[in-house]
Amino acid sequence: MVPDVSHPVWMRIVTGSKPMKSTKSTVNMMIHNNKSSYERDPSPENVKQLVERTHKFFAQYESIFPNEIAQICQ
Amino acid sequence: MTTKISSKLCSIAEVQAAISAGESLFLAGSRESLGQLPKGNWVGGTISYFVTEEGGQLSEDRIFVTPVPASALGAEAAEYSAGNLAQLYRDAPENGFTFVVLPASSEVLKSFAERAPSFEGYLMRPVVGWVSGVRVDRIGVDTPAVFNGKTGAVMEDKCVALHVALPADHIADLDTVNIFESGDGDVIRFEEAGAHVTNCLIGGKTANLADYLAAKAVHTEFPLVGDYNGSSINVSFLKVDANAHTVDFYAPVFPGVDYRLAKPVDDYVSAFAKASAGGSVPDFACNCILNYLYGGLEGKQTGTVTGPVTFGEIAHQLLNQTMVRLYVQKIG
Repeated sequence: MVPDVSHPVWMRIVTGSKPMKSTKSTVNMMIHNNKSSYERDPSPENVKQLVERTHKFFAQYESIFPNEIAQICQ
Repeated sequence: MTTKISSKLCSIAEVQAAISAGESLFLAGSRESLGQLPKGNWVGGTISYFVTEEGGQLSEDRIFVTPVPASALGAEAAEYSAGNLAQLYRDAPENGFTFVVLPASSEVLKSFAERAPSFEGYLMRPVVGWVSGVRVDRIGVDTPAVFNGKTGAVMEDKCVALHVALPADHIADLDTVNIFESGDGDVIRFEEAGAHVTNCLIGGKTANLADYLAAKAVHTEFPLVGDYNGSSINVSFLKVDANAHTVDFYAPVFPGVDYRLAKPVDDYVSAFAKASAGGSVPDFACNCILNYLYGGLEGKQTGTVTGPVTFGEIAHQLLNQTMVRLYVQKIG
């Protein structure tokens, strides 16, 4: 089950304080894209956007990324 | 959707019949062969190299057919220029995928390559496809093109797309197979996005990339490998100009990515067979012309995955020297 968008884990994923490992290039592109965006613009507005996008991504693709969802829920 | 034809290299007559029967298709073939097809719900691009079950082959009079998955709710053809690529993502279905073909050496490809990661919808709406090309002995003579079967348009400066909507109980999953991995050498970083490079940071110090490659006697048939959170994303060398001290790539490099030169691969055939072994048959796949040429894949089998051999591969963004696979899966 994907945590709610308000869960602090999303902030930790977006800012890189919770590293994620994946064999899926799509997931790794997402994580990398977040990291680059956060480094360029760490403003609360950008972080909020990144959190919403990352949550939406994993909610949409929950069925094909079970290992990654398990990491998020740990 | 109606799907009777299977994914394979077909005669022109077979493809004509499938289009006339109302099938929705992704097509790859020579300009002459695609030019003989009737209007219909298909998009395609020029290429004459294919990986088939019999191995790699060059064909000017056959067309590689990939039918839209039978589970699809619909497939809508469209075309985009460099100026309205963002619209591609807005037109993409909420659940499904978008198949694209972009002409090599075009402004629309350059724009997609540099801007795709910044578009609203990047990664959220899967975009998969390839870059059209020409016979390698006709590079600089012939021009890569794409076809919109819906309108009959043949274009060298636009990309074509087929937006494929899936039902709620199906999902599109993109996958890449990369036989290259980062070597143990210096970390190379770039301060600007682009496919034309002079200086960069090598081991944290400003240096000229062309000079570095020459000093190291680097084999440029092997790509630069970018580290995307552990996934290897290749950027292939197009040209190293020792006199101008410049390097051109087939895809842009990006700031914020740690690149290294790839470890050499001795045997492309067994490397691909091993890397792509197992799993189910993809709904679409393509592989890179550089792997085909450098690996001498013509006439050789590299596993069970078939598809066009392309001048660039798309899995969300432009990739090089990579096999791309699309799987449409039933959920639950």
